[in-house]
Amino acid sequence: MRLLAFLVVAGVLLGGCASPADPAGVNDPYEATNREIFDFNLMVDRTFLKPTAERYQTYVPEVVRDSLRSTLDNLHAPVVVANDLLQAEASRAGTMTGRFLINSTIGLGGLIDVATGFGIESHDEDFGQTLAVWGVGDGPYLMLPLLGPSNPRDAVGRLADVGLDPVTYIKFKRHVMWEGVRMYLNIVDTRARNLETLDGIERNSLDFYATARSLYRQNRAYQIRNGMPSTDE
Amino acid sequence: MRGMTKPYKFILATFSFVAALVLSLGLSMGRAEAASPAEQFIADNVQKAMGILNNTASSKDQKKTEFQNFLLGLTDIQSIGRYTLGQYRRSASPEDLTAFDAAFKEYALSVYQSYFAKYSGQSLKVTGSNQLGANDIMVKTVTVDPKKSSAKPFEVNFRVQTVNGRTMVVDFSVEGVWIRELERNDFTSYLGQKNGDVKALIAMLKQKAAQQH
Repeated sequence: MRLLAFLVVAGVLLGGCASPADPAGVNDPYEATNREIFDFNLMVDRTFLKPTAERYQTYVPEVVRDSLRSTLDNLHAPVVVANDLLQAEASRAGTMTGRFLINSTIGLGGLIDVATGFGIESHDEDFGQTLAVWGVGDGPYLMLPLLGPSNPRDAVGRLADVGLDPVTYIKFKRHVMWEGVRMYLNIVDTRARNLETLDGIERNSLDFYATARSLYRQNRAYQIRNGMPSTDE
Repeated sequence: MRGMTKPYKFILATFSFVAALVLSLGLSMGRAEAASPAEQFIADNVQKAMGILNNTASSKDQKKTEFQNFLLGLTDIQSIGRYTLGQYRRSASPEDLTAFDAAFKEYALSVYQSYFAKYSGQSLKVTGSNQLGANDIMVKTVTVDPKKSSAKPFEVNFRVQTVNGRTMVVDFSVEGVWIRELERNDFTSYLGQKNGDVKALIAMLKQKAAQQH
């Protein structure tokens, strides 16, 4: 809990940093470094991640991939519920709790997404979004090595979500290894689901870095609003 | 026998709790409202687009031409293009702007065509709309995959305005990412590196459009 409090404070301080003159309004003061990290990430993606994701998509049947996705999402549900509660979204927390109970029981531990079949749809929340709901600004754009687009608020949120995950506190045999496996599968599956889309965006953009930055910012803002339309503009 | 009762009871209790939860959540869903003109406009055009993309009688090239003509009649491509220039629109010469309009049209048609063609097996279902201004409506849709009902739907929204007496789409978004904004970030960043040279942008757009063929 002390860690969480520290992270919140750090997020508020970093997110609240004033940015220097920025006529285009991109709030990217570390652009030169960010671009270097972006190129590094792309290199890692091309060399390791993308080929792995492609093989995964080719050789692992869709049914298996869907079951895996559903299990990973179910494992993540408590984090979503915690963030729903921290955002005072009681009904969304109820929906996710319902999904977790249904999919963990009738859905055989998450292997089958029965809840969606019942019309109880999933949603995602993370601590970066919770901080945003609490009024913390996103701060300057940051490209994190290996992790990709972010900002101080969302980077702090990523760490805090580990603290909110009950699995972190359950000490079972080879805990670290299994957490690694879970993270690895999450990354590969997510990449595989975005193969075509990302290829298309890269092919069609003139400046892939700037396009990815806008994509991340717009999509994050949309997630924070829980899909509701923006009230400005 | 007696030892069996306890876990059995527990499982039964869990299941009935879950079933009650399902029912209470399920009953609160569902919506029935008459579609507004803007919603109807999007629904009709989704039907039209599906008709073009799923027409088995036409060849791939025919489909492409037909779909691009359809997009041309549906979207206000020129206004989208001008928006994407951002602060460079004011400093561009009239000749460059005219050349840009043409290059952007070619780029946008081929790029949007390729985006939508990818989803030709799916459909969009209108879920509602929001009035953003007097002549500005956002129509909300979600993807429906008839082959895979469990597929996670994503939100595709259209911004509809009346331009010169015609109802047109001036922007669209996928999961909150609006194409106009995305392209403006892309183009202005590129122009920033080229000292605001619109001619360089035009050449690049032509190259990108040609790549799609």
